[in-house]
Amino acid sequence: MADLLQQVVSGTATGGVYALLALALVLIYRSTGVVNFAQGEMAMFSTFVCWELLDRGVPYWGAFFLTLLISFAGGVAIERLVVRPVERAMALTVVTVTIGLLILLNGAAAWIWKGEQRTLENPFTNRTFDVGGVVIAAQDLGIIAVSLAIVLALWAFFQRTTLGLALRASAVNPDSSRLHGVRVSWMLALGWGLAALLGAVAGVLVAPTQGSFDQNLMLPILIYAFAAAVLGGLDSPVGAVVGGVVLGIALNLIGAYIDFLADLRLPSALFLILVVLLARPQGLFGREAVRRV
Amino acid sequence: MRLVRLTAVALALTAGVASARPAADPGVTSNEIVIGGTIPLSGIAQSYASVGKGAEAYFKYVNAKGGVNRRKITYKYLDDQYNPSSTVQVTRQLVQQEHVFAIFNSLGTEHNLSIRAYLNAAKVPQLFVGSGATTFGRDYKRYPYTIGYLPSYVGEGKVYARHILKTKPSAKIGVLVQNDDYGKDLLNGFRAGLGAKSRNIVSMQSYDSLETEVSSQIARLKSSGAKIFVLIATPPFVIRGLKSAATLGWKPQIYVNQVGSATNIMRIVALTANPQIIEGAITIQAYKDPTSPRFGRDRGMLLYRRIMKRYLPRADANDGFHVYSMAVAYTFVDALRKTGKNVTRAGILRAVQNLNEPSNPFILPGIVVKTSPTDHFPIEQGQLYRWHGNQWNPLGKVISAKP
Amino acid sequence: MRSALRIGGFLLFAAVVLVLPSRVSDFRAQELALVGIYFIAILGLNVLTGYTGVISLGHGAFMAVGAYTTAILVADHGVKDLYTIPIAGLVAFAAGFAFGIPALRLSGPYLALATFGIAVSTPIVIKKFDNLTGGTGGINLFESPDLTGAFFGVHVLGRTLTFNDWIYYLSWTIALALLVVAWAISVSPFGRALRAVRDNEIAATASGIWSASHKTFAFAVSAFYAGIAGSLLAIHANSVSPGGFQFDLSIKLLVGLAIGGLGALVPLAAGAAFLVYLPNWAQDLSKAPGVPGVIYGAVLIVLMLVIPGGVGGLLRRIASPLTTRLYARS
Repeated sequence: MADLLQQVVSGTATGGVYALLALALVLIYRSTGVVNFAQGEMAMFSTFVCWELLDRGVPYWGAFFLTLLISFAGGVAIERLVVRPVERAMALTVVTVTIGLLILLNGAAAWIWKGEQRTLENPFTNRTFDVGGVVIAAQDLGIIAVSLAIVLALWAFFQRTTLGLALRASAVNPDSSRLHGVRVSWMLALGWGLAALLGAVAGVLVAPTQGSFDQNLMLPILIYAFAAAVLGGLDSPVGAVVGGVVLGIALNLIGAYIDFLADLRLPSALFLILVVLLARPQGLFGREAVRRV
Repeated sequence: MRLVRLTAVALALTAGVASARPAADPGVTSNEIVIGGTIPLSGIAQSYASVGKGAEAYFKYVNAKGGVNRRKITYKYLDDQYNPSSTVQVTRQLVQQEHVFAIFNSLGTEHNLSIRAYLNAAKVPQLFVGSGATTFGRDYKRYPYTIGYLPSYVGEGKVYARHILKTKPSAKIGVLVQNDDYGKDLLNGFRAGLGAKSRNIVSMQSYDSLETEVSSQIARLKSSGAKIFVLIATPPFVIRGLKSAATLGWKPQIYVNQVGSATNIMRIVALTANPQIIEGAITIQAYKDPTSPRFGRDRGMLLYRRIMKRYLPRADANDGFHVYSMAVAYTFVDALRKTGKNVTRAGILRAVQNLNEPSNPFILPGIVVKTSPTDHFPIEQGQLYRWHGNQWNPLGKVISAKP
Repeated sequence: MRSALRIGGFLLFAAVVLVLPSRVSDFRAQELALVGIYFIAILGLNVLTGYTGVISLGHGAFMAVGAYTTAILVADHGVKDLYTIPIAGLVAFAAGFAFGIPALRLSGPYLALATFGIAVSTPIVIKKFDNLTGGTGGINLFESPDLTGAFFGVHVLGRTLTFNDWIYYLSWTIALALLVVAWAISVSPFGRALRAVRDNEIAATASGIWSASHKTFAFAVSAFYAGIAGSLLAIHANSVSPGGFQFDLSIKLLVGLAIGGLGALVPLAAGAAFLVYLPNWAQDLSKAPGVPGVIYGAVLIVLMLVIPGGVGGLLRRIASPLTTRLYARS
């Protein structure tokens, strides 16, 4: 029993890591309608920025918030420079631009930080708690708590502020938003900025869980974050967290208890997600798209 | 007029010489030897780029001192992104377009497997393969143009097994292993070394390199009651595996395979998990550790630092891959010297099958780089090391690591 | 007039394909063969994405199906490599159909990410079933007697071709044939139905087009193309291994399609050439860590900003005033 619970607990912890990046994916999808392949690399780049600041002697929380600011500005800049010109182009063009960004940012990080392994301080304590033979790490609790806090903040932002409403409106229907006086193009830039900021939070919290990191920190994590976001519903922050945690637990249980599938835990989990999507094509918490004729 | 006649004589002479000698092998001229290979310079395995750069730096050093028999060595290493399809394509480019004399130091198990048959059919030497997979040394009858370098994975597995049988013959063993050929090869050696005692392996967990965590696997290993933990894993997964073990409060005796046991990797574990988890961990080494104070005044390592400073000033000299890379380059230069003035592919193959280097400056003292026509494993020895005081310390003498 | 331009363009293209090997070195011929192979895969992806609007991030998986079909048949069952090419296409077609039936009930990004799932899973599944696939080491065809002219050349029509020229002509013959097929699909009633579904699914359904089955069939056809390309890739490389079919292959194909131009035909070859040559070119410029990636990413982004419709879109933009002018005059 303790074994099973341990698998669930560590799956939840891993799921929290996926959830953090999935939240950034959801935010950008919800506020700009774009599936951003560069989201992971933006988060990785922010992580290096934070590392650089710390390396230059900035105290931890100063570096942390400075990183968030720089990342927000970076996200806005990316939108203005490379996304805005293709705003009205086909989906394929936009996706390709984000793929180009992915490759560019990965290369730039390898170039600037020389591809060496770096370590980042864990903002939570390294303490662990033993509850009836099940070990829980404070770091993992911290990550789950932060992702839940982000969900709450996003909910409040989207539902309770005019800016959030304008952001949602411009993603759903840019033309009528414009008629209502929403500055749609700046809303999109704001969406990118916020997603970059969330990505920075994800990167800075996730990097210590991996022990060390280099420019490839987020490449595998992005795959899981996509899966989590799709499972939960691409437009639902709650869904991103639930999707991440369910995915993390499912991977662990499949790997630990079904011997034949141990080597196939990722494909099996992805297959389960496909099955869920067939029943709920908009994901667990996503809103069904209403089609207009 | 005189000038014209002289030129004519010179032309006739060169023509005569050219026709008198058998056609030279590709990549060899009177003042240059061009060799090539594939190294991941970008993508997921980019940290192995130093395996190319160290050798290149060593060749530059040799060239600056006049080269080998007045020929300079040009080493063209191209990026294959650690993708075997791309290895095939890039290797063809080196052979068919760049006309290299030999493929040297190409990195990766699958990557070298995917070009071995081609290179042997094309009669291009595939020298000092950057993989410990046993097949590269074992199957020389079928692939006479191929030779490995590192201690084989099977040999490495057997060394750990022997050490366990000697020190804790009845302890339960848990293994974390990467789900590919390298993992299987090392595991096979480990099992063969344990013999009947391989039933002591109570749990074996595998991971795929796309995974982000191995905490689930480590929890299983811990609950199996294993007292010995063997990691057959690459650096990121050594770090994650040991970090999870520390989090779960598991305190086994640790064996880390050479692929993932570099000093900087262990120091990251000590820093981010806790230093106790790896206290007393064991690994095998064959080349000198640049971070070890033991080699502070060693002549080989002084040379290493000089070459790094001169030719790779911006690179991290504490990265052990550079040392490994120079060791291979040293052996290549040695073989080239033995080949003599008339450099042919047949000649270099003869030379690499008759190596005898008692003192490669970058290899641990006591290890002899040695081959014979029936032994295609250049390095078959190693030394066990034990982690203590934030560094690796030798544990006993140089021992055999025969597959 | 427009179709005259099309046919003229096609003939010119075919002529260039025919004479190219005699103008370049032997090595370059097999590099161009690789362009032809990617061209086939991108043509297939275009049947799906260009005609139905469905974005697939998983076509590398169907290339793997084709490649392994050929490798297993040649290495383990002694089938001549040439015969395995159509079989590989059909197996991939079946796989595409089987995947398409459930998956195409999803829409937009959900579908795209479901296809991404198969791209991610493919190498892991290949490694798991190593009895069949040879595991990580893969299957080497080089020593198989059923591989045509791997080293000693091929005798065709009384001439001896090197392997490199042979694989060039083989790939491009098939590519040109499949190019004609793709064009035929686009002007057929089936192609028109697909476009109707793409432009307005509900209206199309209302006018009696059964959109799901059309899309599934288009998905299977595009998987067929990928299967053929995969099969040729196996013959070209004389080997297959899971490392060659990581998810980045699928993303590469999508990039090739975007560069070539969605909905175009001949210009897609430019997308294929981009995939083969740009990485080499970036590496020639600088080998410093990360710099080739910076160059590649930057070129890709700039191209998308300058020609958002790809090379095909650019040509259409150039050609359309021309055709309008010609119409006005006549």
